Amino acid sequence: MAQIAAERYTGASVKRAEDPRILTGAGRYVGDIKLPGMLHAAFVRSPLAHGRVLAVDASAARALPGVVAVLTGADLEEMTIPGQDPLLAMMGGDGPVAEYTLLATDKVRFVGDPVALVVAESRYLAEDGCELVEVDYEDLPPVANAASALDAGSPPLFASVGDNIIGPHKRSEFGDVAGTFAGADRVAEFHIDVHRHQNVPMEGRGCVASYEAGSGVMTVHAATQSVHVTRMAVATRLGIDRDKVRVLAGDIGGSFGLKIGASREELAVAAAARAVGRPVKWVEDRSENLTASGHAREESFDVRAAVSDDGDLLGLDVRMVIDTGAYPVMGTMVPGIIEAMLPGPYKLTALGFESTAVTTNKASYVAYRGPWASETFVRERVLDLVAKDLGLDPLEIRLRNVAPSTRPPFLMVTGRPLIGVTTRESLERVAELVDLPAFRRRQAEARVQGRYLGIGLATFIEAAPGPRSAEGSGGPMGMEYMRLRLAEDGVVTLFTGQMPHGQGHQTTLAQIAADEFGVPFEQVRVVIGDTDVVPFGLTGGSRSATMTGGVALHGARQLKAKVLDFAALLMEASALDLEITDGQVLVRGDPDSAIPVEEVARQAASGHFDADADTNLEVEASFDGGEGGWSGGSHCAIVEVDVETGLVKVERYVAAEDCGALINPAVVEGQIRGGIAQGIGAVLLERSAYDSGGNYQSATFMDYLLPTACDVPRIEIEHLETVPLDADVNFRGVGEGGLIVAPPTLVNAIEDALTPFGVRIYEQHLPPARILELIAAAQSG
Amino acid sequence: MKLPYVDYEAPETVAEAVDLLAEHQDEASVLAGGQSLIPLLALRLARPALLIDINGLGELSGVSAADGWIAIGAMTREYVAEESQLVADAVPLLAAALPLIGHEAIRSRGTIGGSLAHADPAAELPAVALALGAEFVVRGRSGERVIPAAEWFEGYLATSRRPDEILVEVRFPAAGPDTGAAFQEVARRHGDFAIVGLAASLSFTDGAISDTRLAFSGVADVPVRAADAEEFLAGERPSPEVFEEAARRATAGLDPPADLHGSAEYRKKIAATLVRRGLQAAADSARQDSARQDSAHQDSAHGRQ
Amino acid sequence: MVDITVRVNGATHTNSVEARTTLSDFLRDDLDLTGTHVGCEHGVCGACTVIVDGRAVRSCLMLAVQAAGSEVTTVEGLAPDGSLGTLQQAMWDSHSFQCGFCTPGFIMQATAFLSAHPDAGEQEIREALSGNICRCTGYQSIIDGVLLAARRSHTD
Repeated sequence: MAQIAAERYTGASVKRAEDPRILTGAGRYVGDIKLPGMLHAAFVRSPLAHGRVLAVDASAARALPGVVAVLTGADLEEMTIPGQDPLLAMMGGDGPVAEYTLLATDKVRFVGDPVALVVAESRYLAEDGCELVEVDYEDLPPVANAASALDAGSPPLFASVGDNIIGPHKRSEFGDVAGTFAGADRVAEFHIDVHRHQNVPMEGRGCVASYEAGSGVMTVHAATQSVHVTRMAVATRLGIDRDKVRVLAGDIGGSFGLKIGASREELAVAAAARAVGRPVKWVEDRSENLTASGHAREESFDVRAAVSDDGDLLGLDVRMVIDTGAYPVMGTMVPGIIEAMLPGPYKLTALGFESTAVTTNKASYVAYRGPWASETFVRERVLDLVAKDLGLDPLEIRLRNVAPSTRPPFLMVTGRPLIGVTTRESLERVAELVDLPAFRRRQAEARVQGRYLGIGLATFIEAAPGPRSAEGSGGPMGMEYMRLRLAEDGVVTLFTGQMPHGQGHQTTLAQIAADEFGVPFEQVRVVIGDTDVVPFGLTGGSRSATMTGGVALHGARQLKAKVLDFAALLMEASALDLEITDGQVLVRGDPDSAIPVEEVARQAASGHFDADADTNLEVEASFDGGEGGWSGGSHCAIVEVDVETGLVKVERYVAAEDCGALINPAVVEGQIRGGIAQGIGAVLLERSAYDSGGNYQSATFMDYLLPTACDVPRIEIEHLETVPLDADVNFRGVGEGGLIVAPPTLVNAIEDALTPFGVRIYEQHLPPARILELIAAAQSG
Repeated sequence: MKLPYVDYEAPETVAEAVDLLAEHQDEASVLAGGQSLIPLLALRLARPALLIDINGLGELSGVSAADGWIAIGAMTREYVAEESQLVADAVPLLAAALPLIGHEAIRSRGTIGGSLAHADPAAELPAVALALGAEFVVRGRSGERVIPAAEWFEGYLATSRRPDEILVEVRFPAAGPDTGAAFQEVARRHGDFAIVGLAASLSFTDGAISDTRLAFSGVADVPVRAADAEEFLAGERPSPEVFEEAARRATAGLDPPADLHGSAEYRKKIAATLVRRGLQAAADSARQDSARQDSAHQDSAHGRQ
Repeated sequence: MVDITVRVNGATHTNSVEARTTLSDFLRDDLDLTGTHVGCEHGVCGACTVIVDGRAVRSCLMLAVQAAGSEVTTVEGLAPDGSLGTLQQAMWDSHSFQCGFCTPGFIMQATAFLSAHPDAGEQEIREALSGNICRCTGYQSIIDGVLLAARRSHTD
């Protein structure tokens, strides 16, 4: 098995290359971009959940000094090519196709739906202009929730669809569902709801678009998870040749799945820049971000569980409804992933799954950190509920149901092999760390004093990127590309399509390349964020550790081979006898022979070598993920519930995680803690709330509450020894896991705390008022 | 969320400020700390034609004591009041409430007068002012008048300040001996507005409660004094049963609003919890204060300071 | 338009601004000091925190005209010669941040807090920073950075 050459950086918490600029205020976010002649955009947005647009009168707005242009939905349709949301177009999804315009033309379909775009000399003036645009609406009855959408009598949001079912009902079965349920000792039934909440990065969406009429080049400074996907979206929608669209991105203030492709507003701004002939900047403000950028997770599940009296989970039959909001983005593809992942690391042998996706008068369902996470919520809740019915403890029931480690590997009932999965180890480790028996004693003593402590466990796996499959993964996410070059100044330069927004790729990839190539960490540069120079790539799906780490490893190896082939000419030695250590090329065993890598690079660029010599010290590498693998882990939370106020304190949180080999432990831990914090937010604080009329209620940070430093405890993370699957690349992704497993961990703990009251919990959002309601309801029984 | 166009004046004397208000009345908003007004402007919920910035009126800042009252100039920053030894010693209920107002950065700019003139029923200071029977000194063209707290809060974000008047000072009565105070609240997160808050002050004579002040925030569109419970507690000795009965009386007549953070029923429930907990905390604080005073007397009696 | 003179990071600026311009927009747009970030514009997230006359304030809740005659320090002013200050270095060493958008606000708030409370413990630091929102880190690494800075300032 080939080893990484000098294991100095990989595996160490190397300080981030990004931080000097981040810590001194020298980061460049899209809102910081200033171009000569730049104008500012603001949107007129619908105050109605559902309505017809009868007329738009922009005359007063256009007359306001400082307003340069006002574009309506009709104006934008004339200057763009019709199409669908770019992420939907890329990822696909079955079902009817809804007509889709950049701004509302004849109808508005959610509160915040953009209706007109005002371009002015400042954002202040653009907002002044927005207030002067008069829109005549005709109210339509709102389709305010999934139940209304499923009703055939509800007014269809889209005439082209005919009703509000955007993802028609479909059912799949795996294993013998009927037989398993018929033969089971008991069948438990539950209805479980996951509430609507959202990404809320600290930086909202935004872009600066600039069109150069002479050359026909559109340049977009974007906040995006992929400059190439944004480029495709702009090129397609604006009808510009892809080669004439350049997308640039610098620092990005978080995303968590929100900023993929280009939103309707960003495409409208690009079209406006072309129409107006000056650069146009749009940066959404917080109320736009909360109201209109998109929401996630509004899903409901009817679950039947086939169980043996001893606690074997034999099968699940799940019926899901997903509320995808008003404009289809990628919500229709979520049920398919949930179906595939529902069995988790367990050995159940039957799964029935059916789903329906509906449109409602709410903001679009968008990708949010582990979009399929509800599969873990449902499964881990069901295990606890079944355990309670059978008098089993939550650790016991899980250990009983974890799939055995077999060779060949145990297959999930939905097909994928559970190879290299360390669920049993993570459950046992986390139980050991919290000392379950000691906690139970403390819990009993506390109850006597009227204090309610609870402990919750949950486990998960995620395909980060998943084990190698026979058919290959295919699609744009199945292969990763990288260009690597030894620059003239001796800097190993990596060009990647990854677009980090907190993941620290400019550090982690440099660690791998430095080790593999043989230069100090500081002698590697990672170039991101320019469609003119980086290959295709997308940051998301917890795949970059494997895919990009892997292409960096193999690419650095290939580049090194090329460099040594050339150095062999210089040094009149055989390439096989050469090595690179600490930035020096030398004949193995002969330190006096050493020449600095930058000297080799300079020589190659000098033009002194004849045509036979390959002096182009650059490689284009690709990587398909190798053997890939699963990431996963088990989490445990200890909470205290104040049963007089309903406030919950997370006293302790422990995670035993397995994400393969660690590139940078501090980066891994940061990702896990951040995901867990969002899980605490989801359960205790965050809800994207609509009233029965479709009016959005959580439009400021006074109502959409994010967890603070007083809400998130110290999180103890234990890294498990992983099962290496690949000869070289055993890094696995870790970005989404924290948010996938934290919500059931916390809800399990809260239910455990409330056991004396007989509370059972079938939902994910537990603000203080709800906790008191659950206690009161259980007591009045 | 950019502010709408607004004219701006920064008067240099209170008289100038009064003249501006007399001229513009409801078309003008007084800008003090800005921590409540500027968000309203940014959300374009407030649309004054004119902002009268009174941050230059240095004469309106300061904490002083006179005749058993602590006078706090309306422009006194919340952090200044928080750091004031005078406030800590003489108005313990105010001292208890101040650290709960938002976060330190808010208290760097927010003012005592600004918060009380804005009169958000979910805020801490209105409940404190009502509980203690504070006095509001306003100045208009026709001169000064003093408005007791019971007459100051008229409705949601509405006070009895006339449009041509400016709040110049708020006076709090100095606490007597053997007084304990507590401000308790149920908030979603540290530093948030309370869902419900309670200002509680208890004075003792010979171990029995001689004076109770209880006022809620967050249960109506104005702060609410729990007069019934206050009456009941007079002469009682502190005990869980007594505090339980006080809680029942304090909340019986409440009809709180409902919103995203809690239903009316939830607010009523936690209001009762806060009364029990707040009275206990106030009683404990009185006991500690009394012990401190005793030990100080002993020290001075033995010639120690 | 109102004429104002304000000292920012030690340099005197005389500008003409609309009264409605916030201090955060003035710093970012008029003075090109884009280190101060805008996260909510209603005073909750703390990303816009700067130091005015020695106190940490939310620059989105101040009008630029109100800073006339004051001393303002932004994140760019903490280490003007390019080298990192104690807090910034400690945060680098502690992997405090990820996307960096909340960072300047945290740094300014922590700077003000530590100078007034150099001996603060973890709980006090958490409370002092609970008005700054971070969506990426879960806060632990930020708290570690502040604690490290406090320790190092003591041994200096």
